[in-house]
Amino acid sequence: MPLAWLGVLPFLIFAFVFLGLPTVLVVIGAFTDANAHPTLGNFSILTQHNVLNAYQTSIAISGVSAVGGAVVGFLLAYAALHEASYRWIRPILVTFSGVASNFAGVPLAYAFISTLGFTGTLTLLLNNVFHISLEQMGFSLYTFWGLALIYLYFQIPLMVLLMVPTIQGLRREWREASESLGASTAQFWLHVGLPILTPPVLAASLLLFGNAFGAYATAYALAQGGINLVSILIGYFVAGNISFEPNAADAMASGMIVIMTFCILVFSVLQRRTSRWIK
Amino acid sequence: MGPLDDRLKRREFLARGARWGGGLVLSTAAADLLAACGSTTAAPASDQQLLSGSGPIPLDILKSRTTSVDKGVLNATGIPPEWADYQDILDGMQKNFSVTVDYKAQAEFSSAQEIQAIKSTISGNGFVPDIGDVGPALGVTAVQENLVVAYKNANWKDVPDLMKESSGKYCGEYYGVQAFVVNTKVVTNVPADWADLQKPEYRHKIGIDGDPRQATDAQMAVWSAALANGGSVDNIQPGIDFFNHLKSSGNYTPARSDKAHMQTGEVGIGIFWDYLGLGFRDSFAGNPDIKVVIPPSGSLAGYYVAIVSKYAKHPWAARLWNEYIMSDEGQLFYLKGYAHPARYLAMASAGKIPADLAAKLPSSDQYKNVKFVTPDQQTKAKDALAANWTG
Repeated sequence: MPLAWLGVLPFLIFAFVFLGLPTVLVVIGAFTDANAHPTLGNFSILTQHNVLNAYQTSIAISGVSAVGGAVVGFLLAYAALHEASYRWIRPILVTFSGVASNFAGVPLAYAFISTLGFTGTLTLLLNNVFHISLEQMGFSLYTFWGLALIYLYFQIPLMVLLMVPTIQGLRREWREASESLGASTAQFWLHVGLPILTPPVLAASLLLFGNAFGAYATAYALAQGGINLVSILIGYFVAGNISFEPNAADAMASGMIVIMTFCILVFSVLQRRTSRWIK
Repeated sequence: MGPLDDRLKRREFLARGARWGGGLVLSTAAADLLAACGSTTAAPASDQQLLSGSGPIPLDILKSRTTSVDKGVLNATGIPPEWADYQDILDGMQKNFSVTVDYKAQAEFSSAQEIQAIKSTISGNGFVPDIGDVGPALGVTAVQENLVVAYKNANWKDVPDLMKESSGKYCGEYYGVQAFVVNTKVVTNVPADWADLQKPEYRHKIGIDGDPRQATDAQMAVWSAALANGGSVDNIQPGIDFFNHLKSSGNYTPARSDKAHMQTGEVGIGIFWDYLGLGFRDSFAGNPDIKVVIPPSGSLAGYYVAIVSKYAKHPWAARLWNEYIMSDEGQLFYLKGYAHPARYLAMASAGKIPADLAAKLPSSDQYKNVKFVTPDQQTKAKDALAANWTG
């Protein structure tokens, strides 16, 4: 059909306006000064201690929540789809995951503060009824690990959603074939199951990484600047009522774009390997 | 942008002034104004001389010229009716002087937009503002760009020097100050000053309103702490050190001192603008009970200034407005909206604050040590925070 491309046109326009164009503008902004003259000076901000620290923290929080989300999400999906599992679990898990994976931003932060903050419901319940003080155990929601816990709330369900079709694609015939050839369960997983599942699991983990990497509202609503993330620093330069340095913000955003582009390239390579097996 | 210059805050400022609405019946009206400044016409000056001078112009002349020359119209920007009780001031202009203030969307202009509006009148386009209400940084800009005229109203001397331009090109209208806003349900001993905040009993209780690298309110909280700890309006570093100490002792909580966290007690002691705290107190209505304390050893003010456009179409009405907002009646309307009027201390010592209004506010002596900062000092503080504030 020569006119088939018309159907995809709205998507292309959308992607151009909301992804392509802003990316180009950010990159141009990163290489120009306030008077639109070309410069490399904006990138000097990337050598500042607190900016480097922000990149480290952003990468660490994304990494931790991606690995945690991937492991728990995969196991949950596998357990729910297993033959021995109750049938009714599957639709409930998938529906819940669909909802929870989209719960983010300010409401998510406030939900956790109301539950696990210093005056949160669960904190007070544990303290008053069970005499367990989360605070004395060293737990504070307003820290790196507190934020990681909050991110897991949407990362795990997202992994479940990504893994359900993958695990369903693991055909029963492969298992039966290897068993009839005398393979043990361990041998099946080592030589068949894992080699097939590794690329999609890694790809999904990268997606989780990107999902956390760009997040802003949740972390800011939780601890303002208390957890030093790149996205929050960028916010100071463009949205605060104190500083306005959009070109420095563009330089920092370009750094994020480089990291995300790397993730997407790896993702697409892995995706291609997967699609050889699972269709 | 000025410390209070944030439209969200503007709305908060007087969600409540409107609610208290009409509770106060102020007896001061045009008559008192006339008595205050109407009897100084010795040698009659021409209208042109009056307008090119720096005031004050006798009120009876302003009133008659506003009616005959300006046809009872004033074009205003930056005066949302729900902000700082401008509704009552707008009504007062109509009632006392039969002046209709034309503002509409212009009421919502940010300070920068207001300046832009004056500039664009030079080329003869669009709405021509007569007066504006802007943050001090933009007041300075307006003076530098020669967009405003000097006018010293009859009450000029009552306005603190740091809130006004010495030749009369802008005049402080009202201010807010940094306060301890305390949820007394979770904090039983209300702290009286900065040093108290180090006490172990306030563990995880103390929060500020945003990140000081981003939000003016939080910046001023850190800076106020500096005043109490050996710093100054030129040195914010001791405030940063003070908060680092609160963080290492565990008394600081990263949770933002917004309305929800103040009500639940997630933040037990919020440090932010007094007018927001007083508004929260009214809105919670005792659940929980909120106390607002101005720390005596360090509290900074954020303020707004009035400007009169050089290109005003209604120059008489513009000066009449300036006289009215700076009169006892106009100033008390600001206070009714919990914005402390520029003449607050002078009026308080003259016994001009009505008792029922005073009862809703921290006592006036708590405001005596309040300090003001210049836009230049604010830029320096911003840079220090960007370099040395650690999350």
